[in-house]
Amino acid sequence: MRKTNPVRTVTALMLSMSVAAAMMADIACAAAETNADKGFRWRDGVEVYSKVCGYCHGGQVGPRILGRELPPEYIRAIVRNGSRAMPPFRPSEIDDESLAKLAEYIQRN
Amino acid sequence: MSNKYIALPKGISEKTFDSAIADFRSVLGDAAVFTSAQQLAPYIKTMMPVPDSDHAPSAALMATTVEEIQKIVGICNRYKVPIWTISTGKNLGYGSAAPAERGQVVLDLKRMNRILEVDKDLAYALVEPGVTYKQLYDYIAEHKLGLWLSMPAPSAIAGPVGNTLDRGVGYTPYGEHFLFACGMEVVLANGEVLRTGMGSMPNSNTWQVFKWGYGPYLDGIFTQSNYGIVTKFGFWLMPAPPAFKPFVIQYENEEDIVEIVEIIRPLRISGVIPNAVVIAHALYEAPVKARRSDYVTGPGSIPDAAVRKLAKDHHLGIWNVYAALYGTQEQIDLNWKIVTQAFGKSGKAKILTEREVGDDPAFKYRAALMRGDMTLQEFSLYNWRGGGGSMWFAPVSQARGSETLKQMALTKQILAKYGLDYSGEFIVGMRDMHHIVDVLYDKTDPGQVKAAYQCFDELLTIFSAQGYGTYRVNTAFMDKVAETYGPVQRQVHKTLKKALDPNGILAPGKSGIR
Repeated sequence: MRKTNPVRTVTALMLSMSVAAAMMADIACAAAETNADKGFRWRDGVEVYSKVCGYCHGGQVGPRILGRELPPEYIRAIVRNGSRAMPPFRPSEIDDESLAKLAEYIQRN
Repeated sequence: MSNKYIALPKGISEKTFDSAIADFRSVLGDAAVFTSAQQLAPYIKTMMPVPDSDHAPSAALMATTVEEIQKIVGICNRYKVPIWTISTGKNLGYGSAAPAERGQVVLDLKRMNRILEVDKDLAYALVEPGVTYKQLYDYIAEHKLGLWLSMPAPSAIAGPVGNTLDRGVGYTPYGEHFLFACGMEVVLANGEVLRTGMGSMPNSNTWQVFKWGYGPYLDGIFTQSNYGIVTKFGFWLMPAPPAFKPFVIQYENEEDIVEIVEIIRPLRISGVIPNAVVIAHALYEAPVKARRSDYVTGPGSIPDAAVRKLAKDHHLGIWNVYAALYGTQEQIDLNWKIVTQAFGKSGKAKILTEREVGDDPAFKYRAALMRGDMTLQEFSLYNWRGGGGSMWFAPVSQARGSETLKQMALTKQILAKYGLDYSGEFIVGMRDMHHIVDVLYDKTDPGQVKAAYQCFDELLTIFSAQGYGTYRVNTAFMDKVAETYGPVQRQVHKTLKKALDPNGILAPGKSGIR
């Protein structure tokens, strides 16, 4: 696999969490946090792509990933393991379900 | 070697670890405790020239509340299991999301990602560790708060808590991030929760507006340290100025950095130029526009003649000074006159603004960074050598022209000895500069991996011998850098560690502290 990509070898599917329900929480005491919001979810694959992946893969930094019908399994493997300079992304950053939606979006667009 | 785990904490038996994992699961649930190789894969990859297995964790825990973290430290104390805490886990070039030592359990706070408060009038934010700059940026935009962020180049995926706790920098007038930190909540190793500064006082509403509180100022000991787990973090935001004027000043020779720094320093100290100015070498900006293979092939560092040709081809200076003016149009007009007069004297400087170079990709991403907009364009650096190897060499320099030239020449000479290029920049404080050099190498090439390791080691040795200290370093070299600051500081760090974390459960090895 070494040096086979002729152009940009950095890949970077960049994912971060959004606030699906950012809470203006009661910050007065730690005890109030037992019901902290754990239920955040990326809305869909488009959101993940535009807020993370696109910064590298929509420009000149990483290779284009849209329009190539990349298999979802391949996308999942690269996101979780990273590749060359592209960092891996953890389930704390993108849960499995959202990653499946992202992979489907990338394959279809 | 355990079959059940990919690694074990130092000195912990598999049986003891089984018990610790069972207790972690009872607090967090099975889905938030990872132990398999597949689950831990994203915690292992680093950009450092050492085997990733040296930094493989034994497990990862995803906590979302302070109470969970209190229970986790209780379990760690019971079994003497060490945890390595991460927030967004994107400390790329400094160790990424992997622990300092093989077998440590990663405490992953990325899901603890609430924006607790953003005060428009007092211009501050209070956030949890998993909040990214992008998340906060979108929140501010959505609520039309008119506040600007300052962030490092990996903006969209990094976050204010991790970056500031590692004393990272950005590019706006708030670029020295820890200067603008105000109030922390910290879970201590004994499970107690400390709020620093005014946060210690019940019913106080000044936690995020007054840094000092009463008595010794404690926030500093929770940066670049392992004395506690920061669970809330306050910091100041910059009100969006009515006008903003980014510009770049190009110079054609490496020696010109003497003139640049001598002109910049008084402008920076007096506040005429308020932001963290960057003086970027052509090779730092080149990857945005050019490929290394178009200018040099084979082993060895890129020759000066090739750098000059590249700079000419792609309209770069050998030095590129990125700075900006902020304020009302009247203020900017006046300060612009001062800046152009100062840089115009010698006739060496080429002064360019958005009007001339607004579409230039290097200028565009630099301008975005100086107004706190999201961009990951700087990652183009990783295309320069390819192969995903990167370490930040980050010595501190006086803001004095002769010193910056000396540091640059010394760095370049040592890099060249190992066939590596000088991809460097100076980020200007007021009296100091962060001299930031991306030691780029191909991690898939064993020869370059070896060279990069030896090169980095030599850079640290030679620089410390000259009295040049490093402000931040990757997890493979933390002990070496700690040594350079001498035995007394190291002993004080150790004494504090013993007092605050007698079982040594919090990130042993961070900044060389155990």
